Amino acid sequence: MDMDIPFPDELELLEEDFHLYEDYMEPEPPEIDDEEEILEKEPSDSPIPQSNSPRLSSIASNSVTESSSVNGLKRLRSDDADAPMELVSDDAEPSGGKKSRTENSMVETEEAWLRYSPPREKNSTVEEETSLVGEEKTVFRYVTEIDGDFMPITAPDSDERVYAKLGRFGDKEESKKLDLKERHEGIMPENINVLMERAEKEALAKTLEASSDIQLDPSPPQGPVMQERLWVDKYAPSSFTELLSDEQTNREVLLWLKQWDSCVFGSEIRTTSEEVLSSLRRHTAIAQHHRLSGSSFTRKNKFQGRRTGNFQDSTFLDQQNSIANGSQDTLSKKTRLPSPPEQKILLLCGPPGLGKTTLAHVAAKHCGYHVVEINASDDRTSSTIESKILDAIQMNSVLGDARPNCLVIDEIDGALGDGKGAVDVIIKMVSADKKAEKENGSKDQLGKRSSQKGRRGASLSRPVICICNDLYAPALRSLRLMAKVHVFVQPTVNRIVSRLKYICNQEGMRANSAALSALAQYTECDIRSCLNTLQFLYKKKETLSAVEIGSQVVGQKDMSKSVFDVWKEIFYTRKMKLQSRSGGKFRNVCDKMEHLYSLLSYRGDYDLILDGIHENILQLNYHDPVMQKTVKCLEMLGISDLMGQYAMQTHHMNLNVYRPSCIITVHRLVAQVQRPNIEWPKSNQRCRALLLEKTDNLRSWLCKVPPIISRHINSKTLVEDLVSPLLHIISPRTLRPMAMHLLSEKEKDNLTQLVSVMVSYAISYKQIKSDPRLNNTRHEATLDGSVLALDPPIDGFVCFKGYESCHNVLPLPMKQLLIHEVENQKIFQGSYGKLEHISEAKKVNHEGSMDKPLRGGLMKTDPAALSAKNKVDDRKSYSAQHRPSHPTSASNGNSAPSVSTKSSGAQKKSALGSSSFFDRFRKSGGKGSQNTDSIDKKEITLERDLRPFLFKFNEGFTNAIKRPVRVREFLL
Amino acid sequence: MLWVDKYRPKTLDQITVHQDVAQNLKKLVTEQDCPHLLFFGPSGSGKKTLVMALIRQMFGASAEKVKVENKTWKVDAGTRNVEIELTTISSTNHVELTPSDAGFQDRYIVQEIIKDMAKNRPIDSKGKRGHKVLVLNDVDKLSREAQHSLRRTMEKYSSYCRLILCCNSSSRVTEAIRSRCLNVRINGPTDDQIVKVLEFIGKKEGLQLPSGFASRIAEKSNRSLRRAILSFETCRVQQYPFVSNQAIPPMDWEEYISEIASDIMKEQSPKRLYQVRGKLYELLVNCIPPEIILKVIILSQFLLIFSVLMCDLYYLVSQRLLYELLKKLDAELKHEVCHWAAYYEHRMRLGQKSIFHIEAFVAKFMSIYKSFLISTFG
Repeated sequence: MDMDIPFPDELELLEEDFHLYEDYMEPEPPEIDDEEEILEKEPSDSPIPQSNSPRLSSIASNSVTESSSVNGLKRLRSDDADAPMELVSDDAEPSGGKKSRTENSMVETEEAWLRYSPPREKNSTVEEETSLVGEEKTVFRYVTEIDGDFMPITAPDSDERVYAKLGRFGDKEESKKLDLKERHEGIMPENINVLMERAEKEALAKTLEASSDIQLDPSPPQGPVMQERLWVDKYAPSSFTELLSDEQTNREVLLWLKQWDSCVFGSEIRTTSEEVLSSLRRHTAIAQHHRLSGSSFTRKNKFQGRRTGNFQDSTFLDQQNSIANGSQDTLSKKTRLPSPPEQKILLLCGPPGLGKTTLAHVAAKHCGYHVVEINASDDRTSSTIESKILDAIQMNSVLGDARPNCLVIDEIDGALGDGKGAVDVIIKMVSADKKAEKENGSKDQLGKRSSQKGRRGASLSRPVICICNDLYAPALRSLRLMAKVHVFVQPTVNRIVSRLKYICNQEGMRANSAALSALAQYTECDIRSCLNTLQFLYKKKETLSAVEIGSQVVGQKDMSKSVFDVWKEIFYTRKMKLQSRSGGKFRNVCDKMEHLYSLLSYRGDYDLILDGIHENILQLNYHDPVMQKTVKCLEMLGISDLMGQYAMQTHHMNLNVYRPSCIITVHRLVAQVQRPNIEWPKSNQRCRALLLEKTDNLRSWLCKVPPIISRHINSKTLVEDLVSPLLHIISPRTLRPMAMHLLSEKEKDNLTQLVSVMVSYAISYKQIKSDPRLNNTRHEATLDGSVLALDPPIDGFVCFKGYESCHNVLPLPMKQLLIHEVENQKIFQGSYGKLEHISEAKKVNHEGSMDKPLRGGLMKTDPAALSAKNKVDDRKSYSAQHRPSHPTSASNGNSAPSVSTKSSGAQKKSALGSSSFFDRFRKSGGKGSQNTDSIDKKEITLERDLRPFLFKFNEGFTNAIKRPVRVREFLL
Repeated sequence: MLWVDKYRPKTLDQITVHQDVAQNLKKLVTEQDCPHLLFFGPSGSGKKTLVMALIRQMFGASAEKVKVENKTWKVDAGTRNVEIELTTISSTNHVELTPSDAGFQDRYIVQEIIKDMAKNRPIDSKGKRGHKVLVLNDVDKLSREAQHSLRRTMEKYSSYCRLILCCNSSSRVTEAIRSRCLNVRINGPTDDQIVKVLEFIGKKEGLQLPSGFASRIAEKSNRSLRRAILSFETCRVQQYPFVSNQAIPPMDWEEYISEIASDIMKEQSPKRLYQVRGKLYELLVNCIPPEIILKVIILSQFLLIFSVLMCDLYYLVSQRLLYELLKKLDAELKHEVCHWAAYYEHRMRLGQKSIFHIEAFVAKFMSIYKSFLISTFG
């Protein structure tokens, strides 16, 4: 029969079923005599056993089938099952007798059996270890004898099940069971944990299946050895339910580990599906409830007894589900690929002593892994760690247990240099895996399967749990991104105290809960240090008292607090009980100072602390009529700053020990009872960043300014003296935005001057995206969402918050005009430089001298006449006249008359027979000096200069004349 | 070009403001025996102009042809390599640089780069005038280590390399360096000198200067010729036919500081101090050096103290006696404020976070002023 795999829904039902039990048990008093219980139950339960008998038989048959099937999990399970069976060695005849019996019953109740099969099957899986074994033990005696009604009973402490026949066998049964109990008592101390775990497994129904590998005696032997062991080890939780850590975290960790099942144990084994996981989630929540009540054994007993009743309730639903699941199951089997969870690494972090390592170990064991631990005591260089991790991940030990490995890397943040090796290796593996997956996804799955297998060797195929104290350690930065992170929170004091109490009871140490809770609070719920302290006191034969904890041996944890806490401590003071003890007040003050001092010196980062104080101090409400406190505080900050600076400069870092005293002074001055509202000190940071940016701006601007000017200014004087006047100068109010030729001489002069200033200081305007904030303050019109701003943003240097500078802002057309002019001027200057070189080389003296007036004239007319369009128009009309008549390169004869209208010099040139049309005009400058008849020439050039010839390249008519032209030639 | 640049004297002969210094320098150079020079004086007094003119005097017009280089130097500093970016302005015979640009790494510049430059002797065509000039700006901002390493360089290569150092305050240049140099103090031009310069420029530009206008500019310029000329040009741009009572546009940051000062005068409380802090940050962000902020705050506070007291005075016109008292107290107040200002400025230079110290001063002032007001007016 294919009953091995429980359907999720069924499991779920089972779970619910279980919950009911649990709920039912909850209110029960811890110690209940089971005999009484049975007796009480008998009337109410009497109808139930009827339905139970078939179930029992089915279980038996199941066990038979299972033992014959030989797949991995089964093997494990049967191993497990063997162990308890050994314990129950007194059971005379093994399954054989049972089998025979079950067969009988099977025949009898065939129909019922079929009907019940799904739940039974679940049962078999769930309870295999416990109930089945129990059955075997006790049932041998009784169940065979029972022909009618019977009732399963679990002994209170052995967790074994006996089946009591109802009614007439009552007396016999009781006595026998008592016997049994007595017998088992001898074995008990060793087995307690086994049994507990088993019970626990039952509780976590689906987890059980995988976790068949419970260790036989994980608990420390409680014999004579006990005195030598540390309590911490002795009472370390060995099963999942005993964990003290936050249940939420426990659950999540377990869940994560369970997600590996499909990958690690293979798909042939029952895997936990989503529904199961969710039920687990619910379950653990409930299980958590009971954990601390400490009466789990008796509860279990009850639970077993009750179970039968609930099964009946669930059977109906199960039936329905089984139909649906039958089809679903085949589907899910196919679709389910053995894939690990999305985040392959679990990162547990939290302060020391909360049980991170314990949780990792317990959870891994629980889920059937063999734990391989790597901690800071091992060699952790990346080469050794890589092989180690690979070993752990990819291999199974041949000898001993065949459980898959689970890697636990402890204290991964511990050593920065070494720990990083491990982090790197893991990250490499994970990322390699991801890559492989990606590739695989893109390629044909079937075809590439073999190749992927090869690659899989290097990938992560076993769960890895990393443990750290500081989540934000720099070494973990990359790991943090790809790992599933769980932050441990402190367990409640109550939980700690109850555990401590339990331990104290066990050890025979007297301690009241007040003292214990004080201890827990003092150690900040560090269970390890609590236990160590307790043991220490116990050895010293002292008792723990709540008052003395501070003065007793308990060391306070050397833990640095976050900087916010430090600030809070500084600005906040508790309301002192007014002079309840006059001497006490002084002591209080001393204590407070001491505390603050240690706090500050642990934290160490004085500069940050100072910044924080500075940022927040003025927001406090302290009474300070003449500002003396403020003065003093700022003075203290200043002193601390001085000390810091001095220590830095002279490398006398030991001087830093004096810095906390300044801060304590501030605390004494301004600390208030109200909770301060503390902000992170941003403004200093911001100021520094902005300052750097602006200084850079300044520097790059200075670099652009020609050296003849920039050598006289440095960035300091630039800001101090130059920027404000410069802004005034480059934005004169008198300049009117109008066409060049309409400007008066004086205005042209001004404009020329302005342009030269802008050029010499490398200032221009450029388009920037309009800033809506700026737009409403400036009155300029914006064109399609962009504005013209100064190119080195020098106006930024005078723009202070809350200050309205009186600088004039030029209107937009003016700016556009200026851009154009500045560009022109720059080109002109560049070409002028070249021209000068040429003319110097040619040693044409008068050319150079002539150049100046010419350019001076141009400069003046520049704004008006130079605006290119005029010239183009000129030229256009000119060429328009002539081009049509001379489509090819103009012949001299034809062009002569037209040229004569321009200048006589040109006419002469044309007569000389220049090859190109333009040459007639252009050559005059260069060749003028070469001409021998200089007097005549001079006249001509003079005449030409009076009417400077302006031309512009005329687009659209390029086919007429082609000639390389320089920009400077247009300008001249 | 701005007038500042346009009318900057190019040669020692053209210099008008520090004529005596210029003549002495000229003599010095023409005798071919030029020691290391240290020019110090407030900004805007004409140090750089003098230096440039001096170099021109030494090397002729070729010194005007300069090129700017922005170069990254790799310096081997024992265990590691340090990369320093440095801008130099150089002609064939001289190099100008600002070593303090490198911040705390200025030591390497002095030790490696300057030494390197000083070592290389320029080869002159004539071969005899083979010395070279290094102009170092802002020497007072050099760290102590850098200054110490500078002195050996000054001695070792003194046969063919001259250093011209420029700084604002000689007090922050070590004794050792000062004693190796000829110290030339360039004081700020007096108002008369400034007026003369302004009138000269006005004449050249063909402007009509109303009487008293130039002196008003000079007065406002804080004895800085650069500032005077700039504000002169600003006035010209803003309104040409000058009016004698024309407003001289102030520096924006000074305006801002006086706003702060009046804030301080209006109310003295931690809250107000917090607002002031925001404004101080604004100033610092805009590259205004903290020392200057402190200085200007003090100055404007004095002005304000006067005005405030005057108001109070009119208010209490009948009480003549109190007036005398006030006057007396006022002087005391001045004294005290000055004392504390110096105190905090000293701290600011020693410390790292200037905002702490400026703020401490503001708080102190508030405290003093408030207690003064309380004690005076009840």
